[in-house]
Amino acid sequence: MNGASQVQIPVPSGSQLALTTAVALVIAASILVAIVLPAEYGVDPLGTGEKLGLTAMSRVSAAPAQMPAADAALKPTVNGPIGQYGVPFKTDAMTFTLGPYDYIEYKYALEEGAQMQFAWKASVPVIHDFHGERSDGQASSFDKSNRQESNGTFTAPFSGIHGWYWENPGGETITVTLKSSGFYASSVEFRSDKTTVPHTLAVP
Amino acid sequence: MSAVRTLLLSAAIGVALVAPGAAHYKFRIVGTVTKITVDEIAVKQLKDNAIVEMDIDKQTKVVKDGKPAGRGQIKIGGSVVIDALGDDILSLTATEIRLVPPIRQP
Repeated sequence: MNGASQVQIPVPSGSQLALTTAVALVIAASILVAIVLPAEYGVDPLGTGEKLGLTAMSRVSAAPAQMPAADAALKPTVNGPIGQYGVPFKTDAMTFTLGPYDYIEYKYALEEGAQMQFAWKASVPVIHDFHGERSDGQASSFDKSNRQESNGTFTAPFSGIHGWYWENPGGETITVTLKSSGFYASSVEFRSDKTTVPHTLAVP
Repeated sequence: MSAVRTLLLSAAIGVALVAPGAAHYKFRIVGTVTKITVDEIAVKQLKDNAIVEMDIDKQTKVVKDGKPAGRGQIKIGGSVVIDALGDDILSLTATEIRLVPPIRQP
């Protein structure tokens, strides 16, 4: 009496293997064109990168964003033309020195609807992108142009970190000086060497 | 059932094929070229004089004055601005090599 039994392991046929390979290649190509190329290289032939916010990821980024905790006191209660907050506004003043072709990002944590006003000036025209980033990493660009200065007010369209990418376009060391005030929680500096520097902000 | 299994397996293989290219950070290297070969470039960084070695592949673009340039134009001692992808500074692949005028030490 022999108790051993043979286990039948199904072997896929040649046509099944060919089908699996073909479908895998189609899926790989779809992911590559729809997601990887827009996110990694800014190449967006299908427009999916723009719709999903992936093309912003192709911009050289100092470091993955670190999202501070939400602060309900910094979310405005709108009463007609008045936006009221649970805490006073803060102020900030920074000067950044950028070596040749270096870049930096500087962002404030703002709740949806919260406002700030700002003025920045560079010693030469710089490559610039004023943008915001949600907690899921999806980014939106508000103003992307070469500028030497900008003065304005900003109302956060969504909760997240909002601020500037400045890039030195030339071989000389330059400075960028920023002044701002607003209902932000904190600020953080993303440097090109992948270090992040949080800043304490003052209540005037 | 077999079709579902085939589809799931295909999706897994498809994701595996493209995933390695997606798990990278972007780095910028500014400095002077110290070595250039068919598949590698080494750059002495302006900011700290450290030598950074990067791979070059078929996708690596070379640009001068905003226009495509040939790899033959990359010279030892020349100033470059390189955007590279990698998990860290030790495992970079150059995506774009920009040939720029000589950079003075800050």
